[in-house]
Amino acid sequence: MAREKIYLEEVFPSPFMQLWGIFRKTPVAMIGFCCFIFLIFLAIFAPVLAPYTPVDGNLDMILLPPAWHADGNVSYLLGTDELGRDMLSRLMYGTSLTFGLSFIVVIFSLVIGVVIGSLSALTRGIKSSFLNHFLDVVLSIPSLLLAIIIVAILGPGISNTVWAIAIVFIPQFIHITRYAVKEEFRKDYVLASRLDGASNFRILYYSVFPNIVERLMSQATLAQSAAILDIATLGFLGLGAQIPLPEWGAILANGLERFYIAPWTVYLPGLAILFAVVATNLVGEGIRHALKLRKEN
Amino acid sequence: MAVLTMNSNSIFSLTIAAFISLLMGCNEGNKLSLSERSIIYCSEGSPETFNPQLSTSGTTSDATAKQLYNSLIVYKGKNNTLGPSLAKSWHVTRDGKKITFYLRQDVSFHQTHYFTPTRLFNADDVLFSFNRILNKDHPFHHVSGNQYPFFQSVKFSELVEKVEKINDFTVRFILKRNDSSFLANLATDFAVILSAEYGQMLQDKRAEHEIDISPIGTGPFKLEDYRVGSLIRFYRHESYWQEKAKIEQLVYDISPSKTSRLTKLLAKECDVSSYPIAHAKIAERSDLQLESITSLNVGYFAFNTKKEPFNNKLVRQAISLAINKQALIETVYQGQAAWAKSILPETSWAYDKNTPELGYDPVRAKSLLEVAGYPQGFIMDIWAMPVQRPYNPNAVTMAKLIQADLKKIGVTVKIISYEWSTFLRRLSQGEHQSFLLGWTADHPDPDNFFTPILSCSASELGNNRTFWCNKEYDQLLEKALQTTNMDKRKGYYAKAMAIINEEMPLLPIAHSKRFQARGFDVEGDILSNFGGISFYNAAKNTINNEAKSIVQSKIAEEASN
Amino acid sequence: MLTFTLRRLSLFIFTMLVLTLLSFSLSFLFPGDTVINHSGQINASTTELAHLNQVYQMDKNIFHQYLAYLSHILNGDFGQSMASQSPISNEIRKLLPATIELSLVALLIAMLVGIPLGFIAAIKHNKTSDNVILSLAMLGYSIPVFWLGLLAILVFSIGLGWLPSAGQISLLFEIEFVTGIQFFDILLSDSPYKWQAFRDASAHMILPACVVALAPATIFIRLSRASMIEVLAASYIRAARAKGLSFQQIIFRHAIRNALIQIIRHVGLQFANLVTIAMVTEVIFSWPGIGRWLIDSIYQRDYTAIQSGLLVLSCFIFIVHILTDFIYAALNPLARGNKHGS
Repeated sequence: MAREKIYLEEVFPSPFMQLWGIFRKTPVAMIGFCCFIFLIFLAIFAPVLAPYTPVDGNLDMILLPPAWHADGNVSYLLGTDELGRDMLSRLMYGTSLTFGLSFIVVIFSLVIGVVIGSLSALTRGIKSSFLNHFLDVVLSIPSLLLAIIIVAILGPGISNTVWAIAIVFIPQFIHITRYAVKEEFRKDYVLASRLDGASNFRILYYSVFPNIVERLMSQATLAQSAAILDIATLGFLGLGAQIPLPEWGAILANGLERFYIAPWTVYLPGLAILFAVVATNLVGEGIRHALKLRKEN
Repeated sequence: MAVLTMNSNSIFSLTIAAFISLLMGCNEGNKLSLSERSIIYCSEGSPETFNPQLSTSGTTSDATAKQLYNSLIVYKGKNNTLGPSLAKSWHVTRDGKKITFYLRQDVSFHQTHYFTPTRLFNADDVLFSFNRILNKDHPFHHVSGNQYPFFQSVKFSELVEKVEKINDFTVRFILKRNDSSFLANLATDFAVILSAEYGQMLQDKRAEHEIDISPIGTGPFKLEDYRVGSLIRFYRHESYWQEKAKIEQLVYDISPSKTSRLTKLLAKECDVSSYPIAHAKIAERSDLQLESITSLNVGYFAFNTKKEPFNNKLVRQAISLAINKQALIETVYQGQAAWAKSILPETSWAYDKNTPELGYDPVRAKSLLEVAGYPQGFIMDIWAMPVQRPYNPNAVTMAKLIQADLKKIGVTVKIISYEWSTFLRRLSQGEHQSFLLGWTADHPDPDNFFTPILSCSASELGNNRTFWCNKEYDQLLEKALQTTNMDKRKGYYAKAMAIINEEMPLLPIAHSKRFQARGFDVEGDILSNFGGISFYNAAKNTINNEAKSIVQSKIAEEASN
Repeated sequence: MLTFTLRRLSLFIFTMLVLTLLSFSLSFLFPGDTVINHSGQINASTTELAHLNQVYQMDKNIFHQYLAYLSHILNGDFGQSMASQSPISNEIRKLLPATIELSLVALLIAMLVGIPLGFIAAIKHNKTSDNVILSLAMLGYSIPVFWLGLLAILVFSIGLGWLPSAGQISLLFEIEFVTGIQFFDILLSDSPYKWQAFRDASAHMILPACVVALAPATIFIRLSRASMIEVLAASYIRAARAKGLSFQQIIFRHAIRNALIQIIRHVGLQFANLVTIAMVTEVIFSWPGIGRWLIDSIYQRDYTAIQSGLLVLSCFIFIVHILTDFIYAALNPLARGNKHGS
């Protein structure tokens, strides 16, 4: 026979779960979150889902308007471009380039940034001060400008763009991790576990990280929306993804020539970028809003 | 009550009048406003130089030849007959070796902020201009790079023994042999007349290179201002030897981006636009018109025959076989071009209908590649020109289509494009494997296609970027020039075309029309069949009067109420 | 204030050194010969090359090379452009003012629109107007600038025909180059069409300036909203309210001033962001500024132009940054004493 509980166990959800609880109750944030998940899904499964290939065109179907237009064709839902390539397929493949790559870049720079940031938070003295100044200088240069500089050095191309943006974001994550870790280390609970004899690493892993993870996520969403815009802008300027790649900014630049006769080749990729950035920003807003509410409680 | 309405009505119409006059910017009474006396032309690129002797690029001729300069003789009328210009008349001896020109005596050079002429045009200027090309000891021969591509490609200095001054207004050209295309060459945009007096002044100042940067000519416009990559401003030449140009100011707005040219045209920021895209859009606007002219040109895809793997004839043939020309013409030219069987357009009298052609056959292409030793295919680059030319309105798209075609036979293509002047420079250094380019004829003589594009002399110095040099082909061209018998010439050119299509140094793609768009308020011919454009006859009709008449009719209408 | 100035000055010199060092090292990172990347003379003959090697002290160690490079920069010699073969300092002299003009006008618009909206949102905290302003701000922040520019041209230049789409001024007007700032040059010129030209230049400015201003304006909305909310929660505001001051008095006399100070701090950082946006906008509106020129240089692999363009642009951004710091310090005595404030 099971023992009866004689008292009600008080369940303390982890800080992260608390946050999720609040986040879930904000409808706008949830819409953004669903869109975000949808985009990730598209980015992964675009090759399976897309009706056509993004690179080879059907020369019999050149500059077909979207299906709702009188001249449209249902088998090309969003129309075709000047080489008869299906816009829908190109946009779907573009999700994995623009959105997917920006997601990977952010995760990559997040990991690197957190490692360097937390290590540097534990150092003091001249090394720390130098890093501080260096970060200040780097952070005062706008991310797009820095990315353009790096692409200028490495040469145009999608992989160079990705590297450039990663290099740009790492300092941001170093900065925020360092700041957050230092702040947490001043708190009493860290002192408590230190008195228990925990090592710095143990404190970092078990005590500090759970408490700063939302802040990092909030920064990550900011970085993600900036990354989407940067990849697209570089693609648009012809410095990022090169000619046949269906990157959203590059599709837009490619459609520019036919802006006045085939406006959908410009509207659609623009809308796609806008959609991705708004979804990301909604998630970010939601996290920040939830963080604020949690603090107030 | 009625009076009141009347009042408010007239106030209303006065406001309209004031608003429209504000809009039109007319505040100087009868004088036409600035925009009515000027034309803005959206051009596709910066000229390389202001001396058309030095360049064969269409952009350079468009910006310089017919605006700043005159030549001795010109093509006139529908039938393209030679007519007088700076030379009143000319005389050719029976053996065709001595040509005498009688010059006009009332032609003045430009007066600008950098030069004031003290004398009129005379024989010295003709000698100065041609000796610069012919004579290696001429003080200006080596200025600006010593390259006279058009004249080198037609072997001008080998042909002309000397140019003589008979008296102040008579010059004589003495040729080494009879050349049936000589007069045609003198009527091109390249054979312009420079000022000897200006040359002397620059020599005294030791600033010889200025002659091609700050030009002085006899043409209907003079250069006022040039900002690289941004604009060229011309003023009217007030003492032009013919009737003055109708517009006072001509501005070239240099806009290499096709979209921005179209945008400026649609937003009425330029009056005339070169090589417009989106013809359908322009056609649907009531205030714009699209015009085109059949120009003698050819767009081609060519190989660097000095580089692997294109030094092998079989590879060149294979690649040519794999390209679906019909698709290129439909997509890139939107069907507005004729299929090119050879480099010579069908409209030329020397065209031969029976020229053999390879056609489109990817299966044979694949087997040819195997024979040539590339069963796995290879990686190659295609240099696509960055600008729009009549012979190829969109080289990058064409390159993409070719890329797709060649993928089918296992050849991987990398597309390369540089800014126009860089592109041409690197091309002349032979860094490329293959390239998309073309040629627009400068005069109707068929030699103007064969010699400049593919002759040996052009491969050393001129425009032959395939670096292909075939002795038999060159001999045929020479024979064709030495006779005036049309049938014989036609026969030689037919053989030359057959050699090209067998050897495949290049794959001719299409002969297209040259398009231009302008606002309905711009009148007068601008495009010409050969060579560059001319704004001499262009004018603006006054919209102001139209606007005033609208306002007046409105007022009259209301008064009658 | 003196220590503050000295500290800023040393920071300025330090950053300039870092920036020149970066630009110097670019010559090594770019493909091609270092001395040619420094000078941009791609067609140099052997004697010219030998001379260049000597001027840039290429035979000595790296430190001497850097000093030689630095002295060239300090003398205003950035080498010549590889593409046009004309001195880069001339080109920059012509292009930078246009960028300065565009970005300053845009900054002004962004502040004039963004700050009042932010204040309104803060005062109506958690009400409908707050939410509307915030959502508009987020939308504005999310729009890719190149797309916005294209839409603006499509609607205002082509659809409605109200505003021109390209350039700084209609090419018909000949305005002599004096300062490079178009509006000043027009006023200084003796053209008979002065006022027409002025009107034309203003019309050309509106679209690009508004497009550049949008994203920074939304940031100013958020900044000013946050800062106003903070100020309104401060105890001195509560004290003022307790004293019986009217709502207007509290907002206009006390809150706005203190909120503004916090915003000015961020202007420098936002300006850097704004200049980047301006670079892209210049491309779309064919604005003859340094951003378009720099991007063109990247296309043309004109390394000398890239490195000098970057140097000049980042110096410009940094100078504005320092200037706003000074303004902030002048307005807010507290900031001067802050040892780690930067």
